[in-house]
Amino acid sequence: MKNKSWVLITSLAVLSSFASAALWSEEVKAVFEQPLLVTSAGQNAEVQILAVLAKRAGLEYSLAKLAAAKDLDNMKTLALVLGTSLKGLGAAGLDMDKERDRVTALVAEAQKRNIPLLCLHLGGENRRGQQTDELITALLPLARMAIVVRSGNIDGIFTKICQEKNIPLIEVEKTADALDPLQKAFR
Amino acid sequence: MVVAAHPLAVDAGLRMLKSGGNAVDAAIAVAVTLNAAEPFASGMGGGGFMVIHLAKEKRTTVINFREKAPHAASPLMFKEKGDAENEWRTSTGLAVAVPGALAGWHLALRRYGTRSFADVASRAVEIAEQGLVISQTFSNINKEEYERLAKNAGPGNCYLNGGLPYEPGDVLRNPDLARTLKLIASKGVEEFYQGDLAKKIVAAVQAHQGIMTLEDLAAYKPTETSPLVGTYKNCTVMTAPPPASGGLQLLQLLNISANWPVKKWGQNSLATIHHLSEAMRFIFADRGRYLGDPDDVGIPVQSLLAKDYAEALASRILPDRPLDDYPSSIFEEKKAKKDNTTHLCVMDQEGNVVSLTQSINDFFGTGIVPEGTGFLLNDHMDDFSSDPESPNAPGPGRRPLSSMAPLIMFKEGKFFLALGSPGGTRIFAALGEIILNVTEFGMSLDDAIEAPRFFSYSVRGKPRPVFVESRIPQSTLLELQKMGYQVEVREAYDKYFGGAQGLMVVKKGKLILGGADSRRDGSGAGY
Repeated sequence: MKNKSWVLITSLAVLSSFASAALWSEEVKAVFEQPLLVTSAGQNAEVQILAVLAKRAGLEYSLAKLAAAKDLDNMKTLALVLGTSLKGLGAAGLDMDKERDRVTALVAEAQKRNIPLLCLHLGGENRRGQQTDELITALLPLARMAIVVRSGNIDGIFTKICQEKNIPLIEVEKTADALDPLQKAFR
Repeated sequence: MVVAAHPLAVDAGLRMLKSGGNAVDAAIAVAVTLNAAEPFASGMGGGGFMVIHLAKEKRTTVINFREKAPHAASPLMFKEKGDAENEWRTSTGLAVAVPGALAGWHLALRRYGTRSFADVASRAVEIAEQGLVISQTFSNINKEEYERLAKNAGPGNCYLNGGLPYEPGDVLRNPDLARTLKLIASKGVEEFYQGDLAKKIVAAVQAHQGIMTLEDLAAYKPTETSPLVGTYKNCTVMTAPPPASGGLQLLQLLNISANWPVKKWGQNSLATIHHLSEAMRFIFADRGRYLGDPDDVGIPVQSLLAKDYAEALASRILPDRPLDDYPSSIFEEKKAKKDNTTHLCVMDQEGNVVSLTQSINDFFGTGIVPEGTGFLLNDHMDDFSSDPESPNAPGPGRRPLSSMAPLIMFKEGKFFLALGSPGGTRIFAALGEIILNVTEFGMSLDDAIEAPRFFSYSVRGKPRPVFVESRIPQSTLLELQKMGYQVEVREAYDKYFGGAQGLMVVKKGKLILGGADSRRDGSGAGY
């Protein structure tokens, strides 16, 4: 039976990324306002978990799995949970192209309205793959902050982009651990 | 030798064998333990099929413990829900078919086992009480199915960890399940179908807008039947007959393949993938046209399995490109593709063999847990067709068509291979590819199971893409695209293509090899 773990890249560049990641996982500053619109980029299941965390954090939020421009009305933050789920796409009757179009239009509208973006990746190692990585590459640079489960950043993809764009990156061990930084990130 | 989708279940089966239990005792021990160790994929809230080979009698039999539709089921029951149909079919009480697992396990034990239910359930009780350490597989699936569990399982249910998904290394304790197993052990299976457990099941189903009644549960009976039999070269394949469709479809695939020089083409070569994918598309057309509950519809099994029919289908397939049309069918494409279910195989010292596939359909079923019982209820009503004219339309007491295909193979009259897999409609394709890997390409069982897989099908006569694991060489995928295929690449070891478990006898019966699938938490052990 095979070993399913990620191939660990042990180059100096990544070692320094890990060192930098520790720097980036600093005290969370409240940089967002409520209410937040919660949606996914990729129709993943973790968007529902973010809604639960938001509720537990006492945040005012609205969950819209197929959020479009009109859902941004009266919202102060767009929280985007990154990660592609073929099951989720199928259940929503979407393919990746349609989902990409939806999210691109949504983010563009948020930018137009000066609504800041919070990116999250809560699915860990299992929620990575070519399509998810394309979403990360396209959307993360636009974020004001990122909260990720550490096992989803084992190759440093989040670290690299956040460093380049000077975006605070908060890494947590487990999905449930995202509650604390999520709460602190909002005024 | 025992192979199953969780090492704790394998251990339970092995302990049973070592203590003198036979293959049936061990298989039921594994099946019940999976309820505690792999609760998302099967359990007493579901059903399945079991193929048993009795070595001394040289006889093979099948226990059909597939669930049944409630008496109030009707052909239009889901179609009339309109846009909300999918939700009703998977996440409400209407999705729950009358469970058959416990009745089936009990029938097998009573007729062919030597141990009591208390004996075979003991390890499951321990795991439920002491706790199950959550694997990466469990955690991933728990997250994927979070919404349904959060909605249906009830506050404080054990299938979420404080209302959030489990992470690897967390511990799941299920004292309710332990109590339920002990109750059944002391009061008998009647407690589930007629006693207090029955009342809790019906209450939970009806609270979630279902139609099951106490009479439905009381009326449930598993059946014992002859296996469906086919041949491939010098092998005989025995598997579950309809309403299990997987076995019939597998035999069709092998029959069609027998017309081609598959060995010469090579494993996962362009020619092999092309020809088998086309065959799968024709097989789906037959499935949609003919298959349902044989108690209600006539199925031309012998015609479908005839070698000359297979030859005719093979001759329709072009060598250099896919066809545009396939015989029209009423097979419907479901929006949510399923990769659930579980399979186990056991062989004892006497040569008795069990090949068992069981399921609650979607992972975590409906997410509905009858109060205080600890087990999940299935959503197998979703296996019925939406089309009221289909041979697989829902109706009172009908068994929904299943894709399961537990099988036992014999080579020149001697036991050779036991095999099965989860994977929904992809089951037969996965098993066909594994069998060809072993018989044509000379692979070991584990290599055959681990090898990359592919799948295709047709809907209403039109081809769907060919789905492939990413380990199939890029050059082959490019050639398929040049041929005219739409190719969809999935993960390297994608559960979509099943999670097979098998055991094979080699070296003239002197060695038993087990094979377990990395696509799930597959494991095997022997002595």
